[in-house]
Amino acid sequence: MTGRWVDAAAVTSDAAAATSGVAHAATLLAFADAVVGSDDEALARARAAVLHELGPAALVDAAAVASNFERMVRVADATGIPLDPPLVMLTEPLREELGINRFGAAANTPPASAALRLAGRVVRPVAFPLLRLVQRLRRPR
Amino acid sequence: MDTPSYATAPVPVRDDLGAAHVRAWHDLARPGTWWTGEERVAIGSEVRAAATCALCRSRRDALSPYTVTGIHDGPGRLPGAAIDAVHRITSDPARLARPWASGVIAAIGDAPYVELLGVVVTVVATDSFCRAIDVPLHALPAPLPGEPTRARPATARDEGAWVPSIPSGAAGGSEADLYDDLPGPAPNVIRALSLVPDALRTLKDLGGVHYMTTAEMTDLTHGRAIDRAQIELIAGRVSALRECFY
Repeated sequence: MTGRWVDAAAVTSDAAAATSGVAHAATLLAFADAVVGSDDEALARARAAVLHELGPAALVDAAAVASNFERMVRVADATGIPLDPPLVMLTEPLREELGINRFGAAANTPPASAALRLAGRVVRPVAFPLLRLVQRLRRPR
Repeated sequence: MDTPSYATAPVPVRDDLGAAHVRAWHDLARPGTWWTGEERVAIGSEVRAAATCALCRSRRDALSPYTVTGIHDGPGRLPGAAIDAVHRITSDPARLARPWASGVIAAIGDAPYVELLGVVVTVVATDSFCRAIDVPLHALPAPLPGEPTRARPATARDEGAWVPSIPSGAAGGSEADLYDDLPGPAPNVIRALSLVPDALRTLKDLGGVHYMTTAEMTDLTHGRAIDRAQIELIAGRVSALRECFY
């Protein structure tokens, strides 16, 4: 809720990285790709790039996040958890845009009811402005 | 006991990360709720064996992983269904399917399956971190003696996943104290391992230092050496590469 817009398309599109609004997006994406992949040389190059551009503390943090999600995807996929209804409601257009609905585990989430889809159309335009307001109100004065 | 250390890492590793990995390795070695310490360490060994397992490689290359049969490479000190579960979860999580999981659960039980999963993901995360910062994998710990507690949460119930979980709020009873650190109802990904409360505690302990605590998640400006947007970019990318819908 910094007021900065970022383009989530960078998550699934390298072409969107440069204009994503996320600092060092391309370097961090290459690192994430290499952590998930099995090419040790690619990982070494990606690691060096993170070190050069962001420094050692950022490398450790990036590695920690990537490895955390290597863990969490397995928790989700091995337990078949459905997406929580508020997230179903809030993320419907984003999931379409990012191509996430084609993933096999999408089958674990029941289709949204007509009521939930309607609620999403109403809630989505105001959800993030409301979240920003809540963040501002929670900040210590 | 072999204790994880980053003293000779090529980059300084945060103390909280190192400490959490030491705790995770202690948890790995001790008797759990359903598996002995020896079995838990054997699960860790199978996670590592999956990396070079020929059967896993064949399955990954196949159009359907369920059409390829064989024996997994590895120490083989666990029941066959457990070994298969460890290898599949480690090597091809995006193609896990409910009928397969039901078969494993029928063979070993739902709570042992959840605990197995908890051990798998602990080793996966720690090994992935080591590889990412170019540190040798930590030696698996020597198992500790003792028997599992076999304590099953009384309030766990079917909440729509493949395994039961402890509900949030009043329905969870006293066992819902697992979620006391959350500002609202526990999301499904937090409740996923709650059939084995200690597995969830380890999950949260590591999550707090690898990613962020549940309290920090609601602060969209939270970051460390990388900012929140960078954190979520990496998280989203890894999830997309693994084709994780959730």
